[in-house]
Amino acid sequence: MVVSAPRRPSVRLAAITAAARTTPGRYGVILAVLLVLCTAFGVASAVRLHARSDALHDLVTSSEPLAVAAQDTYRALSDADATAASAFLEGGVEPQEVRRRYENDIAQAGSALAAAASAATTSEQAGRSVARLTTYLPVYTGLVEQARANNRHGVPLGAAYLREASGLMQSVLLPAARELYQSETARLAGTQESATPLPLVEVLLGVLAVAALVAAQVYLRRRTNRVLNIGLLAATAASVLVLLWVVVVAVDVALNVGQARDRGSAQVQQLATARIAALEARGDETLTLVARGAGAEYEKQYAEISERLGGADGRSGALGRARDSIEDPAVRALVQDAVDRQQVWRAAHAEIRRLDDSGAYNEAVAVAIGPQANGAAAAFTGLDDSLGKAIGLSRQRFDAEVGSARAALSWSVAGAVLLTVLAAAGAVWGMWQRLKEYR
Amino acid sequence: MSSSVSGKWCSDTNCHSRLVHRPLAGLAGPVALVRLVSLMALVSLVVLVGGCGASAPLPGDREVGFTPPEPVGVSVLTGPPTTTTGAPTPDCDPTASLRPDGPLPPPGQMPAGSTMASIVASGRLRVGVDQNTYLFGFRDSFSGELEGFDVDIARQVAAALFGDPSKIQFVTLTSTQRIPALQQNQVDIVVRTMTVTCERWKDVDFSTVYYQAGQRVLVHRDSGYTDLDSLAGKRVCSAAGSTSLRNLANAPSKPVPVAVRDWTDCLVMLQQGQVDAVSTDDTILVGMAAQDPNTVVRGPRFTDEPYGIAVAKGREDLVRFVNAVLERIRLDGTWAGLYQHWLTELGSAPAPPGARYLP
Repeated sequence: MVVSAPRRPSVRLAAITAAARTTPGRYGVILAVLLVLCTAFGVASAVRLHARSDALHDLVTSSEPLAVAAQDTYRALSDADATAASAFLEGGVEPQEVRRRYENDIAQAGSALAAAASAATTSEQAGRSVARLTTYLPVYTGLVEQARANNRHGVPLGAAYLREASGLMQSVLLPAARELYQSETARLAGTQESATPLPLVEVLLGVLAVAALVAAQVYLRRRTNRVLNIGLLAATAASVLVLLWVVVVAVDVALNVGQARDRGSAQVQQLATARIAALEARGDETLTLVARGAGAEYEKQYAEISERLGGADGRSGALGRARDSIEDPAVRALVQDAVDRQQVWRAAHAEIRRLDDSGAYNEAVAVAIGPQANGAAAAFTGLDDSLGKAIGLSRQRFDAEVGSARAALSWSVAGAVLLTVLAAAGAVWGMWQRLKEYR
Repeated sequence: MSSSVSGKWCSDTNCHSRLVHRPLAGLAGPVALVRLVSLMALVSLVVLVGGCGASAPLPGDREVGFTPPEPVGVSVLTGPPTTTTGAPTPDCDPTASLRPDGPLPPPGQMPAGSTMASIVASGRLRVGVDQNTYLFGFRDSFSGELEGFDVDIARQVAAALFGDPSKIQFVTLTSTQRIPALQQNQVDIVVRTMTVTCERWKDVDFSTVYYQAGQRVLVHRDSGYTDLDSLAGKRVCSAAGSTSLRNLANAPSKPVPVAVRDWTDCLVMLQQGQVDAVSTDDTILVGMAAQDPNTVVRGPRFTDEPYGIAVAKGREDLVRFVNAVLERIRLDGTWAGLYQHWLTELGSAPAPPGARYLP
C-alpha cells in the first residue's frame, strides 16, 4: 500500500490517455478544452470589465473629487494669505467683506482638507501632507487672530504677528498643500490609466475560444458529415458577441475617459494652475505695498508670475494657452473674460507702481484695494471668479464623460457572464448530441 | 473498472451499453482540469482584488513633528556678527559731523547744483525709516500713516526743503538694509534709530546727534531677570545688523544672541517664550513695553547709542543742510515738542544732545 499509493495518478493518467484514443473519448477531450477556454474567457472578461467599472467608479467618487479637494485647499490657503495681507493695508479694523473673505477661505480650506483626508488612508505622501496641514492650520489662524487683536490697538506688534503667520503659510502650509495637490493629481492620472487598459488577455482568450469552437465544428463535420451543430454554433455566436462587446466597451470607455481628461480634468488642472498663479501675483502685489519700499523682491515675483499668467503682452501665457485650447464655448468665454480682467489688472498694477514709486503711497494703496471697477482688487476678483466658474463647468464636463463611460459598462459584467455560460452550455449540449450516439 | 479491461469482452458493434460509462471515464480527467483552471482563475482573482487593498498605515499611526512657528529670518548667533569690511576701524569721534553753511536757505530755493536742489526738483524727499519700532518709526494701523519721533524728524527735513512736511516718499528698511539703501541711491536720508559709529562712518556720513539712547534689557515682569548679567546663557533677542546685537555678542555674561529682521519680531518671540529677554536701545524697548504691559525695561544703560541721520558718501552739502535743520529744531523748541509728544515714557524731556562739529 505504501509503495503503490504514489503510483495511482500515473495509473489514472494512463487510463485517460487510453480513453482519449477512442472516438467518444476524443469528443470528451474536445468538450473539456472548449469548456476550459469558454470559462477562462468568461472569467477574464468579467474580471477585467469589473476592474474597469471599479476604476471609473473610483474616478468620479474618489480620485477626481480628491484632486479637486486638494486644489481647493491650496487655493483657499493662498487666498487667505493674500486677504490677510490686504486686511493689513486696510488699517486697524478691516472692512466686513475682507474679514468675510478670509473666514470663508479658512472654512473652505478646512472642509476641503477634511475631504482630502480620506486620501490619507491610501497614500503615504498624501497622509503626510494632510497631517502637516491639519497640524499647522489652527496655529496659522491663531497667529492671524493675534495679529488682528494687536492691530485693533493700533500697535506694530499686529504687523509682526501677521508676518509670522504669513511666514508659516509660505514655508509650511502652502508647500504641504502643493504636495497634496501634486500627489492627488498624479493619482487621478493613474486612475484614468487603469480605467483604460488594452483588453489583451480577454481578446486573446476570446479569439482562442472562438477558434477552438470553429475547429471543433470542422472536426465534427468531417467525422460525422453533419453540417450544422446547433449547440456549438450557438456557443460560437455567444463567444463572438462577448468578444465584440469587450472590444467595443474598451474603445468606448477609452474614448470617454480621454474626453473626460482633455475637456475635463486636464482643463481643470490648467485653469486651476492659472487661478493659483493669479492668487500668488495678488499676494505679491499686496505684500509689495505692505513692505513699503522694501518690497522689490515681491515686485519681482509679481512680474514673473504675471508674465507666466498672461505672457509679455498679457494675452498669451497660461491664460492665453487655456483660451486657445478650450473648445467648449461657455468655458472659452469665461477664460476670455479672465484674459480681459488680466489686462485691466496689469494697467492697475502699473498705476500702483507709478504712484508708490513717486511717493504717493496712500493713493497707490487706494488703487490696490479700493472698490473702483478699474482698480486691482476688482480686476483680480473678477479674474478669480471667472476662472472659478470655468473650473466648475469643466468639472461638469468631466462628470458627464465619465458618466457615459460608466453607462457603457453597466450590465456588461452580468452580460459577459451570462453569454459565456450560454457558450459553455451550447458547447456541452452540442457535444452531448454527438456523444449520445455512442450510447 | 478500467477501459482496457472492458475492451476485452466487448465487440466493436454491440457494446454501446457498456460504453455508457466510457464518456464519463474519459471526462474524469478534463473535469479535474476544469476544476484546476477555475481554481487558478479564482486564485488570480483573489490576487488581483487583494492587490488593491495593499496595507497603508492607519492615520492614527502617523506622527507629525511640530515645530512652533518663529518670525521669518530668525538666526541664533554662535559668534560675534561679522563687520562690513573686516578691516580694523580707526579711532574717531563718531558724534562729530560737518558744520552747516550758514543759515538755512528758504524752502524751495536751494543753491543751484546742490543735492538739495535735485531733491526739490524730483518732487519728494526719499527717507529710509522703520515701520516696526513703536514710538520711533511705526505704522499707525488706524490711519495707515507712518508715525513716530524719527518720522517727525524726517518731516522737519522735508519741510525745510519743500515748505511742506508731506513731500516724502517713505521706504521702510530693516537694520541691515540701511547702509545698502543709501549706497544704492534708493533713499536720500535714513532716519531710523541709527547709532553713529566709526565703522559706519566708513560707509556713510552722519548728521550731528539728534537723540542719545543707551542699551538696556526688556524682560517679563515676573521673570526675576534684573539686567544683562542675570541673563548669562539665556536667549536674548536683537535685530540683525544692529549695534545692539554686536554688544550682546561681546557681553561678558555671555547671553545667547538671537537675531531677527525687525524689532517687533523680538517682542513676538518674547511673548511666545522663544527668548528670555530683548536687549537694545531703551528707546526701542520702551516702545515694546508700551505694547505689552506684562513686560518691563530693567537694568542700567550699559552702552551709549547716539542717533544720527545717515546720508550717502559724497553728499556733504546735504549733511550740512540736515545739520542746519537739526540746529534749528534744537533751538526753536521743536525737538522738545517732539520729545513731549512721543517719548514721555522715557521720562521728562532732557535737553537736546548738543551738536559737535569736525574741526
